[in-house]
Formats: sequence, structure tokens, C-alpha cells
Amino acid sequence: MNVKEYISSGIVESYVLGLASEEERREFEQFCSQYPELLAARNSFELALEKQALENAIAPAVDVKSKIFEQIAGTGKVVTMQPAAIKRTNWFKYAAAACVILLAGSLYYNLTLYNKNKVLQNNYDTNIAKLNSVEKDIEILQQNPNIKMASMKGLDASPQSYATVYWDSTSHDVYLMTNNLPIPASDKQYQLWAIFNGQPVDLGVFDMKKEKLLIQAKNAQGAEAFAITLEKKGGSLTPEGTMYVMGKL
Amino acid sequence: MLQQRNEKAFGYLYDNYSGALYGIVNSIVTDKEIANDVLQNVFVNIWRKIESYDSSKGRLFTWMLNIARNASIDEVRSKGFRDSQKNQSLGENVNFPGAVTGPAIDDVGLKKVLTKLKGELRVLVDMSYFQGFTHEEISRALNIPLGTVKTRIRSALIQLRTMI
Repeated sequence: MNVKEYISSGIVESYVLGLASEEERREFEQFCSQYPELLAARNSFELALEKQALENAIAPAVDVKSKIFEQIAGTGKVVTMQPAAIKRTNWFKYAAAACVILLAGSLYYNLTLYNKNKVLQNNYDTNIAKLNSVEKDIEILQQNPNIKMASMKGLDASPQSYATVYWDSTSHDVYLMTNNLPIPASDKQYQLWAIFNGQPVDLGVFDMKKEKLLIQAKNAQGAEAFAITLEKKGGSLTPEGTMYVMGKL
Repeated sequence: MLQQRNEKAFGYLYDNYSGALYGIVNSIVTDKEIANDVLQNVFVNIWRKIESYDSSKGRLFTWMLNIARNASIDEVRSKGFRDSQKNQSLGENVNFPGAVTGPAIDDVGLKKVLTKLKGELRVLVDMSYFQGFTHEEISRALNIPLGTVKTRIRSALIQLRTMI
């Protein structure tokens, strides 16, 4: 993405002023976490807007503040509200004590619910983000007629292993889906190879990331087949380790 | 501190920002008395919703400004059909004839900046920002293609950016 072009499209202003659509907002927030320039542009417009608003402040009616505080004052009021009803009996003391206990219980319960809700909200956001990423990946595969697929079956070292390569014959992009591969030891990494004219061509090492459906590997100019070997961390120039899966295009 | 609902911090917030937020409320709600009521609701809402403020999505002021803007637009809207549809959000039933001229533009704050824009761009920003019409509604009301509405508003915003 061209960040400069994106910034100068008016999206920053549109987002900050609350005029962007739901979809634009989501996209903008995602890009903000990826591009510091965009974040800086947002911040600078926000500051300008804030400054402008502060310079053009108009004093509201004087009683607004006290009305607000009356409305939000919660717990303090419950105790002081009925001075007329006070009768100095034991009964009243017990009732007041019960009220305080109930109130404390209710506050605790609210707090628990609030915390629970926050956790749920976080989980929800994470899941939505995952789903979006998966949907994007599926889009890549579905909308491109030039995509060819190679199913790589497990070899002797690990017969139940299975992985899939999607290769774009025009752009030469390579996407890898690790359907089933054992988690490697911490000093090892899997490496993807294209077999082109009988020679292995390095397409890069990769980590097993559960949240990503597709891993984008290095481009491959051409390939007859693809294979994955287990190499020392960082990869090798030519395959040295055990081959786990292989499949023809 | 504010997110722990500290009243002192909230008082400080009010002292510093009520004027700026009242400015924006005033540019949408013209009646002074109603504008004060709206501002009161805005701050009560800020107090109640403070947990939902997410600093990764923008500055606190931006968040408050948007609450103020939305509350003001809701107020103006609810007046139009207060009998049966008071709480309805912008929908199909919105009447457009008055929308293009709208309330008179006062020469304060952002609205003052707005007067520097060219006629049509000014109408578009006024309708979308100060009256809360969606791009679709503006497209239908002014009979301009949706894509054009979007690009023109964006270009108006870029111009505004250089003016504030």
C-alpha cells in the first residue's frame, strides 16, 4: 500500500471526524497499527482539531456542571438521602447495615460483570481480527483464476504430514498452508523449496502460526513440484535436513 | 485515572473541555437552552461510557467530540419526529427538503472554517458533519452519484484540514 497516497486521500480527516463508514474505520485502524506514518498523521490532525475547538470554546451555562455532578453522584447519595426518616432505633441500624452490605455486594457483582464483559469483548475482537485475516486469505485463493495448487503428502519421516502450496502462475506469488506438520524443535525450522528444472530453489523458512491460514513464501519463477524439509534455524542454501512432504504441481 | 471513575479527574475534564464541546454542540443545536441540556447529557454519557474509550483508536478529545456531535445530531433529529420515532437513528424516513439549506451557519468554530469552502463543498460538509446525513442519503437528496459524494466530501475535508 502507498501510505502517502492513503494519507492524502482525506481518510484521516474522515475517520477522526466520524464520517468514515464501518468498513473504512476497520481498515484505517488496522493500517494505523501497521504504519507509524499514518498514526502520526492521525495524531497531528486530532491535535489540530483539538486546538481549533479549544480556541473556539464557548462557556456553557454555569449550572450545567452541578447538574452533571448531581446526576452522576451515585453511592454517596444513597446514605445521606433520608435524614428526616432517621429514628434512633436498633431496627434502623440493622437496616442501614443491611443496606451497606447489599450495596457492597451489588458493587462487587457489578465489578465482576464488568470485568467479565471486558474479557469477552477482548476475545470477541481477537476472533473478529482472526476471521478477517482468514477471509482475506480465502479471497486471494478464490478470486484468482491463475492460482495452481500442489498437495504435498507426507513422506516416510512423517506419513501423516500434509501441506498445500498455492502458486500464482502470473505473479509468481507462493502461498503455503500447513495443514498438518509436527511442531519442530526450537533450534529447527521448516523450509519450503520449489523444484524447478530438477533443482531445489529456496522459498524461505517459516514458523508455524496458528492464526494465519496462509503463509506467503518467496516468489517462484516456475516449479514442477514443491517440498518442505526440516532445516537448522534460519534455513540452508540447499536442502540438508529430512524431507517431510512433497507434491507435484 | 479517569477510567477508574475519579470524580475529581472528571471535574478537571469538565473545566478544560466543556467549552470546546459546547462550541460543537452549539454549531448543531441552535437553541441555547437545549444546547446546555445536550452538553449535560454528553458529559453524563462520557462518565458512563469512559471504559469503552480506547486510546489506541484516538485521543480522548476526539472521542468526546464525536459523542458531542452525535448527541447534538440526535437531538436535532428527534425534534423533527418526536412523536413516534424519537429514538430512531437516521433511516429511510428522513425528510430532505429542508436539509439542503439547513439551519443558518453561525460564524463560530468549525462552522466558521466551513464558510471558507466553495458553495457545493460547503453544503456537502454541512450535511454530512453537522447534520449527520450518510453519504447515501446525500446522494439521493442532491441527486449526485454516491462515488462523487464521497470524493467531494473527502476533498472538502482535505481543504478544511489546511484551514484549521
